[in-house]
Amino acid sequence: MVKRLYDIVLLLKEYVVVAVFLSVSVFLLAFNDTPQMREIRAYAIVAVGLLQNSLSVLPNYLNLRRENEALRELNLALSDEVSRLREGKLENLRLRQLLNLKELGEHRYTGANIVGKNLQLLRNTITLDVGENEGVQVNMPIVSERGLVGKVISTTGHYSIGQILLNKDVRVSAKVQRSRVDGIVRWDGGHDLLLQNVARTDDVQTGDLVITSDYSAFFPKGIKVGVVSETRPLPGSLFQAVTVKPAVDFTALEEVFVMQFKADSSRTVLEQRGR
Amino acid sequence: MRRFLPDLALSLLVLLVQTTIVQFLAIQTIVPDLVLLWIIALAVRRGQIPGTIAGFALGLIQDLISGPDGMLGLAALAKTMAGFAAGYFYNENKTIQTLGSYRFLLITAGVSALHNIFYFLIVLQGSGISWSGSLLAYGVPTTAYTVAMALIPMFAFARKQLS
Repeated sequence: MVKRLYDIVLLLKEYVVVAVFLSVSVFLLAFNDTPQMREIRAYAIVAVGLLQNSLSVLPNYLNLRRENEALRELNLALSDEVSRLREGKLENLRLRQLLNLKELGEHRYTGANIVGKNLQLLRNTITLDVGENEGVQVNMPIVSERGLVGKVISTTGHYSIGQILLNKDVRVSAKVQRSRVDGIVRWDGGHDLLLQNVARTDDVQTGDLVITSDYSAFFPKGIKVGVVSETRPLPGSLFQAVTVKPAVDFTALEEVFVMQFKADSSRTVLEQRGR
Repeated sequence: MRRFLPDLALSLLVLLVQTTIVQFLAIQTIVPDLVLLWIIALAVRRGQIPGTIAGFALGLIQDLISGPDGMLGLAALAKTMAGFAAGYFYNENKTIQTLGSYRFLLITAGVSALHNIFYFLIVLQGSGISWSGSLLAYGVPTTAYTVAMALIPMFAFARKQLS
């Protein structure tokens, strides 16, 4: 191998010698800082740039593969970041709306995340990550920035179970905000709620807002329950069927507030005695 | 090695003449390049490698003695190229014939043109003079003057050839 290399050098000795001397000369020239050399350096930079630019069209598979991998990693990281930012933005929006609600209300609220949700049964519930240690008690109302969610039916130290409006056991005393017509909101297993005990002659129209009324022992008055989506007279009855679309989208619900509201026990006792 | 000693001595003498006497031969600012002429003659007589080495060495010395105004490496580069190019016309059996004939003038003209084009193109960078202007103002006159000076060795070798 060395012999072969030596033979080649010997064969091309003139070119080797001139290449060595030319290289030394160029090396020495490169150390000059004269205006001429600055000009030549500028030309050289342009020439090298053009050369690199023209050579860049040639595919360098190794570099492309490496670049692809790097870009894929970057893409993944950026996608992850975008997703988290989007999540953060939505959370921010929700929390801002919740804070508005908190500021406007007259009751204290305990913020909670929904850590469990059941929407497939007739008695649907949600599990919250707050409990007795945070002051949550049974029968406290659960609300979101959109309106009434339900009430607490069970608690432990750090968790509680909430009974949502889409539950056959729930009854909420409510009224039509515009006409002050009273009724009872309940769920019959369908998509929407029903406002019952509304007489045919009562003034209820589609689009009317339904809120909690003064008559409720568990919910303070004025909490938005939903919007009337349909009214129709019940055949052979003095009442009309009023369908209410819930204000809260239970499928997308993630954060709620437990309202620190307890019904007046003397009132409850009195009402029970009267029955 | 001993046969190169006269060449070495003559090289130093030519360098001395170029840096001292030749300026008195200047026509306006144009002077003949005796060092280049000597390198061409050496390459024709001794071959490509001696011509290249002589070109580099003498050019480097010229760069070193040109002071801070010069560009270290430029003369070495140009004269290395010149020595290498002139070496192509080396023929061991026809050295005297080549040096003593018009062929030497043609070789000098070609190699000198190559040398001067390269040299002045770099030296005049940034001076505002165009490439064609620099060739006409400096490259061609210097080449012509050097070729004119090549007549002296040509006639000397022609006479030697006759005798």
